[in-house]
Parts: sequence; C-alpha cells; structure tokens
Amino acid sequence: MNRRIIAIGTGASALLMLTGCVADVPEPVTEAPALEQEAALLEAQSDRIVEATMAELALADEEADADLLTDRIGGDAVTVRKAQYTLASADDGPTPVVLPAEMQAVYSVGADTWPRTLASVSQPADEDSTPVVMLWIQDDVDTDYQLRGWAHMIPGATIPAMAGTTSGAEQLTVDADGLLATPEEAISNYLELLREGEDSEFAEQFTADSYREQLFASREALTETANDAEGEYVDTIESDIDSTYVMGTADGGALVFAPVSVKSSFSVDDGIVEIAGAQQPLVDGDIEDVAVYEYRDLIVLHIPAADSDDTAGVVAADHNLIRITDS
Amino acid sequence: MTFRTAALVAGALGVVLLTVGLIADAQRPPTDVEAVASLDTSVVVYSPEMVEFADESRIGVDGSGEIVAMTARPVDADAWLATREATEVTGLPEWEVLSTQAYEVAEPEPTASPTTSASPSAEASPSPSPSPSASPSGEGEEAEPVDVLSQTSTDLWRQEWSGTDRVAVVASKVPDGETLVIASRDGSPLTTTDLALSREVNDGWITPLIWWGIALTVVGAVALILRFFDTRPLQAKAENWRQGRTGTGDTDADPGSRRARRASGAGLPEASLDEPASPATGATPTTGATPTTGATPVTGATPVTGGSPISGQSPVSSRSPFHPVTGGTPASAPSTGSPRSAQSPAVDEGPNNGEGGRA
Repeated sequence: MNRRIIAIGTGASALLMLTGCVADVPEPVTEAPALEQEAALLEAQSDRIVEATMAELALADEEADADLLTDRIGGDAVTVRKAQYTLASADDGPTPVVLPAEMQAVYSVGADTWPRTLASVSQPADEDSTPVVMLWIQDDVDTDYQLRGWAHMIPGATIPAMAGTTSGAEQLTVDADGLLATPEEAISNYLELLREGEDSEFAEQFTADSYREQLFASREALTETANDAEGEYVDTIESDIDSTYVMGTADGGALVFAPVSVKSSFSVDDGIVEIAGAQQPLVDGDIEDVAVYEYRDLIVLHIPAADSDDTAGVVAADHNLIRITDS
Repeated sequence: MTFRTAALVAGALGVVLLTVGLIADAQRPPTDVEAVASLDTSVVVYSPEMVEFADESRIGVDGSGEIVAMTARPVDADAWLATREATEVTGLPEWEVLSTQAYEVAEPEPTASPTTSASPSAEASPSPSPSPSASPSGEGEEAEPVDVLSQTSTDLWRQEWSGTDRVAVVASKVPDGETLVIASRDGSPLTTTDLALSREVNDGWITPLIWWGIALTVVGAVALILRFFDTRPLQAKAENWRQGRTGTGDTDADPGSRRARRASGAGLPEASLDEPASPATGATPTTGATPTTGATPVTGATPVTGGSPISGQSPVSSRSPFHPVTGGTPASAPSTGSPRSAQSPAVDEGPNNGEGGRA
C-alpha cells in the first residue's frame, strides 16, 4: 500500500513538475502588420501582365487575326486592332501600329475596389514615333488585366510623376474634386473645344496639342471639299464616361483616360463620295452621297491639382479609324 | 540522529529524487513541436496576423496533387475567397493544435463606384471578350486535369510556391501584411495543415535532479549495507593502523631521539654570543678548508674579508632568525679554523636554532 502511494506520489510529482516545464503558447497577434507595398500590382506582377499582353498581341499580329485577342486584350483595343488588321489586308494598306513591348514606366493603383487600372509608357517604337501610353483594366478579381487602349504621346507633352508601388496611384472617380476641374467636366470642356474649334471659350483651359490641331485641320479641309460639292462635313464627338478611368498623380493631379467616339460625316449634294483605296476594307455598306467615318480615340488628359498654376492638357491621343458607313 | 540514520534518510530521499528525475527525463517534452489541423476544403488561408504569429516557423499543407501557396493583399485575397469555400487557420490554442474555422470575408467598407455618373454617350460599349473557359470533354473520355487556379485571373498573386502532395513555406518569406492562401490546383480537398514551432522547455533541473538522486541513493545504500555487517573489528584495525601511522600516543618515541627529549621536557640549549664559539673540529663535518657557499645555512656568516675571523663584535647572532642571511655570498677566502664552526653540530642540537634557520 505504501509502495503504491509512493509510486503514485512520485509519478504525480514528476508530471506536476513537467507541467511547469513548457512555456505557455504565445499570445495571438491581433493586429495585422502594415503592407510593405500597397500598390495593387508590384513590378513583378505588372511585368507578367505586360509580357502576357505582348505575347498575345504578337500572336494575333502574326496571324492578323483579332479573334486571337481574347484574354489580355479587350474592349476598344480589340476594335481598333481589328480595324488595323483590316486596313493592312488591303493592297498597300498601312501596317498595324507598332506597340513596343519595352516599357519605361508602369503605374499601378493602390485601390481596394474594382475596376482597377494599370498604365504604362513604352519606349518609342522608332525615331519618328513618340512613346505609347497604354491602359489596362481589371474589371474584377477573377478577370485578367486587359489592354483596353493606347495612345501616342503628344510631342512635347510630359506625363506627370506618378506614385510608386509603395502606395500605388490613387484610383479616382470621374467626379473627383481637388482638381482644376473634375475629370468629367474637363472631358466635357475639351470635347466642346473639339466641336467648336480654336475659337471655343474652352481653348484657354487646355494647352495646345497636336491631336486637336490635326482634327481641326482635317475638318477645315474636308469642310471646304464638301462645300465645293455643295455638301456638308460634320464631326460628332461623344465621350464614353462609363469607360473613362482616372488615376491620381503624385502632385495631386489626375490622369484621365477617356475613350472618345468621333463620327465624321462627309456628304455631297449630287454625286458619290469616293473612298480612298487604302480605306476601302473598312467600308460597311454602300457609300453614295454620304460617308460616315467612325473613329474610336483614346485621349489621355492631365488635370493639375486645384492649387496648381499649371494648365490642363492632352498628353497622349490617337485617332483610330474603325469603320466607314453610309449613314 | 546518528550518522547512519541520516545517511539512510538521505538514501530514501535520493531514491525519490532519482525516480522523479528518471520519469521526468522519460516524459521530457520536446522543444520542437508541430501544431496540426485537419482540413476538408481545397483552400486554406493564413491571415496576415497568423503569418506574423508564425514568424520564422514553417507553414505546411498536405494534400494530393499539386498544391500552390500564394500571397496577396488582404483585400484581394478576400475578394478572391468570397466565391470560394476555404478554411482559415485562426490560432494556436495548444502547442500541438491549430484552430480553424470556415473563412469569412471581411466586410468591405462602402465605397463609391468609380463611374457613377450617367453617360451621355450613345455609343454602345464593345462586347466583352469571349470567356476563356473550356468546354467539358465528351462523355466516356478520360477527364483532363483540372486547374481551378488558372480558370480565373492569377494577377492578384504576388508570390507563389508549389509542391506535389505538400507545400511548405517559411512564414518569414511572406511579406508583412500579405495573406497566405494555399490551394490544391485540381480542387481536391486538402488534408492537413501544420505549423512547425520551437518552444522553450525548462528542463534544466532534470539532469541535476538525477545526479543528486544517484548520489544520495549511493549514500543510503552504503549506510544500508553497513547496517548488516559488524564492522567493529575492522574499525579497531583501522584505528590501530591510524594510530601507528600518526603516532599520536605518548609512547613510541625512540629513546634518545629529539622527540623523546622534547617529550621529556628537556630545556632548550642556550647559546652565548659573548663567548667565542669553540671550534669543534672533531665534530665539524665540514673542514675549514671548505669554502662557505650559499648552500650553507649559515647565520651570521658575514662575508669574511681578509680572512678576519668573525668575532663577537659581529652584531650577528647565530640564534637570530631575523638576521639577514648573508651566507649566500661566498667567502672570499677560506676560513680555516675560523669560528664559523658555530655551525657545528653543537648548534644543531638546539632545536630552536634549527627552526630559526628554517624560518
């Protein structure tokens, strides 16, 4: 009996002492450490996206088949590229615009919501070209970033400084304040300038750019030609606010990526509008006395911060013919 | 309490200590432990807090097929997980257990849509691009491997690790603030997740306890053995032997020896410095021709110059143990017949003299 008691006591003592041997489990961490880099995309991620995009584009370019633009290229980019493939199919048709795969800057947002944007500025394709500004959109977490548009930089224009991956650029809305004008208002004013011409009251609100100069020059020439044929030339310019995206710049300004639809109607009173041979593949319908040239442009507009002395202006824009119809 | 009883008590205590020590050693908890949780979903999530908690520990997940571990911003992971069934590892209630729960997406803060204003555009937006999802294969054919991860975008993942049937990631490799999502590529349920941990075990007392137990047990055992044997004869023998060796008794001094004289209370010899020491040539073991060397324990051996005999004029007393010993200086000349015979055995008979020399 005594031995049993001693044995039990000894064993219990040992176990009791052992319970004090092991430290308690650590206290849980209740507060998450701060993210080191808050941008939605780090450099490695954006590099992967750009690389996949360029691979898909190269494959489609090789086949001149826009149907191959599926995962990484979408929206207006497909529409524009398809038109370029169509134009290229004509004899002596223009080759599709070269989109350089090498980037000199990539800007990601730090947004927590969707859609999100990714912008880049490429190296110039050649000595005669300016860098290309490209825009990717991710609609939701389960879809890939897609290249939705591009525009060549306006000669002499400067892309403002953007936030890096530590915080990411701010994803702004079209009604964001704190700017010289809200993005929506700035776009509206600029399109009004395009409609009215250089004499517009909004001309002073924007720095000079070659995009509108060429548009006005073309309008003047075609208007004169139409007038000679007792016809008419009318530009109809519309914005697409739903597809407009805004990224904040490092100095509190904004970079607005605004798709713009331009319809240039050329009519003659008696006669037939003759379409240039290189543009024939884009003709949709029977062109007689009216030809409507449809363009899908991308305008990249810089809006300075409200307290800035700078002037808003277009830093990149492309005028992309996508179709010619008879009405 | 006798010495033997105390030893027996110590032995009993030693047995107890030894037993406790051995049991403790056998049950010694390991320093490295693995906390485990079973899973039944194809996705498991470690929140940034849990990744921070894991610190330098290794996070592992077992399953079948290819398993991929990915990191993302918490908001992106939440959005991705919102339409998926997942298990979240929530903590470490015990060293060997991970707690889990069904993953619940954090409520997003209400934010305004980036494009809330009405569009004045009459242009229809381009149709979305066709879905990349592939149609299922025909009946009867072997099903192609499914890759549920690539069916949706992978743009949100910042880092990836993969393995077959198991993937392991050191938590410190996950950047601060990012969520770790681990999923099977084919959508099959994962089986377990584990977290390898190192903990502090205060077991430094076990080994000393064992050694103390051994020592006390030996003491008790010796006392116990001696209890069963009559050791008195041995003790007597040992006592005698000890007395023979140490000579502590009042006998055994050899007649005529110094010990005997000391025992008999013989007085110390007196040495007079006033009278010249008579040469004891016959008894002098060293002749006067022997040069005094430093080896000679001569007191008052002032260096002899010019062969002058050391007389009583010398302040040196051969009995003074504190007199500077100059005997180390070799005499410059032999001191034949000199009173240096104070070193004679007669002096040696005085025990104090000899002791003084050693002082």
